[in-house]
Amino acid sequence: MSEIRATEIMVAAGARELKDSETVVVGIGLPQVACFLAKSTHAPNLTPLLEIGVANMRPMHTPVGLADSRIFYRATCWSGFLDVMGMNLHRGVVDTGFLGALEVDRYGNINTTLSKEEGRLRYFNGSAGGNDVASLAKRVIVIMRHEKRKLPAAVTHLTSPGFVGGKSREELALRGGGPHRIITDKAVIGFDEASHSAALVSLHPGVTLEDVLANTGFPLQVPDKPATTPLPTAEELRLLREEIDPNGVYLG
Amino acid sequence: MAGKIKTAAEVVGSIPDGAHIALGGFAIARNVIVIAHELIRQNRRNLTVSQGVAGLDTDLLVGAGLVKRLIIGGGSLDRFGPVHCINRARETGSLAFEDWTSLSLCFRYLAGALGLSFIPIKSLLASEILDRLETGGAKGEVARMTCPFTGESYVAMTALTPDVSFVHVQVADQEGNCRIDGPRWENEEQAKAARRLIVIAEEIVPTAAIQEQPERTIIPAHRVEAVIHQPFGAHPTAVFGRYDYDAAHLKLYVEHSKRADRIGDYIRSYILETGDHAGYLEKAGGAAHLDRLKADPARGY
Repeated sequence: MSEIRATEIMVAAGARELKDSETVVVGIGLPQVACFLAKSTHAPNLTPLLEIGVANMRPMHTPVGLADSRIFYRATCWSGFLDVMGMNLHRGVVDTGFLGALEVDRYGNINTTLSKEEGRLRYFNGSAGGNDVASLAKRVIVIMRHEKRKLPAAVTHLTSPGFVGGKSREELALRGGGPHRIITDKAVIGFDEASHSAALVSLHPGVTLEDVLANTGFPLQVPDKPATTPLPTAEELRLLREEIDPNGVYLG
Repeated sequence: MAGKIKTAAEVVGSIPDGAHIALGGFAIARNVIVIAHELIRQNRRNLTVSQGVAGLDTDLLVGAGLVKRLIIGGGSLDRFGPVHCINRARETGSLAFEDWTSLSLCFRYLAGALGLSFIPIKSLLASEILDRLETGGAKGEVARMTCPFTGESYVAMTALTPDVSFVHVQVADQEGNCRIDGPRWENEEQAKAARRLIVIAEEIVPTAAIQEQPERTIIPAHRVEAVIHQPFGAHPTAVFGRYDYDAAHLKLYVEHSKRADRIGDYIRSYILETGDHAGYLEKAGGAAHLDRLKADPARGY
């Protein structure tokens, strides 16, 4: 078996955060891959939802995005925003929201709208359902590349709230429980219960603490002995490479 | 033809400059390409456009310079790229921009469809999206409110009632009874919030076929003003159960849209010089090419 890719460690770590029988709203890209991996292994009764109005899809071919008909395949329900985001997310029955991001800061605030490079503003996709998911899901997992500029002290644009200003979700009047994990290609990051600030959970195999700290733009709480993120199992790798993303559309 | 069947040119001829139009596409699925092209050919200007997640249709209208105000929750062409024309217009400040979310716009259309003047939501709170709406172009459309019964905090939003909604569907009869197969994002709320509703259908079936399965009718005829019959009317975006997105054409579009000095070439050669949708489809590859995009009915793509 060829060398394990960082994306494979990321999605395996993401999959392990999902529990069986949960309801999960998944975003485009690696969140979809992690969700299908969980469902193919320890979480067969997990219900993935797509914001556009899809429940429990079982795609046979890798889709290019949320609106690709490939992802509607073998779904058990087709509806719309009002059902998935209104009567599930807004109703408060979605366990996990699983998202990608341009930037995430120490309080788990997410930017998917705007970047500032050499003083020049560049606009991106905006919220779509991202703000709704981050505001309303019981917990939120973000999966993204680990770069200093993508993990800044404060996001360039606060598209989707985490623990804004270090405040609790109750203080912010938000219904959902807020950020739970940031999963990168170097580490798994969680949030301190008291300060709501980012705290290292585990380092991926072969990644040093110095490497993570040097590539993180915000202060990161570090435990005395950081754990090591488990590698994907042989069966997880087989599923990812042969069934879930055989052409490397997302795993690269 | 009997019933409400009209051409895209006839329908667009009745849309005034400055209208608020709502488009039913999502990213690269079921875009109202026929309408976007005809609005460009007839040069309808100063439009307000609203859409949950903008796709190629709205990106084209912005690229053609026809949009004065944009009300969207997001925008994407999926893996093919961002909505370059929209993003560039934001960067240069060439149009008024309201940035919402998918659910908040759906709720606003729902309020419009229900005849409510406002609707509360638990999204948007503590975000910069809300800050910008409160201080920018959407001032007067959002307000923080407290539930009079529980004391819970909400964002109140005004109803959104487009002058005209356009939705692309798989099947309609000539009176406008519509089936939408696959997920339908905010189509139903957006359609029913509008003052006028136009549908574009891949296939026209007899009303008797609708009567056999009335549970599949998502939009009933009495709400529909006109029906445009146009197979491959959403090309190069996908229509579930009918045809796939045209990956080669989407790449070609993005090569043009990402540069301000090239989008005009696309608009000229694929829209202005083709005359109508039949001409566009011929230019985009013709029948043999389109045949290869047709969906396997068992899979839907």
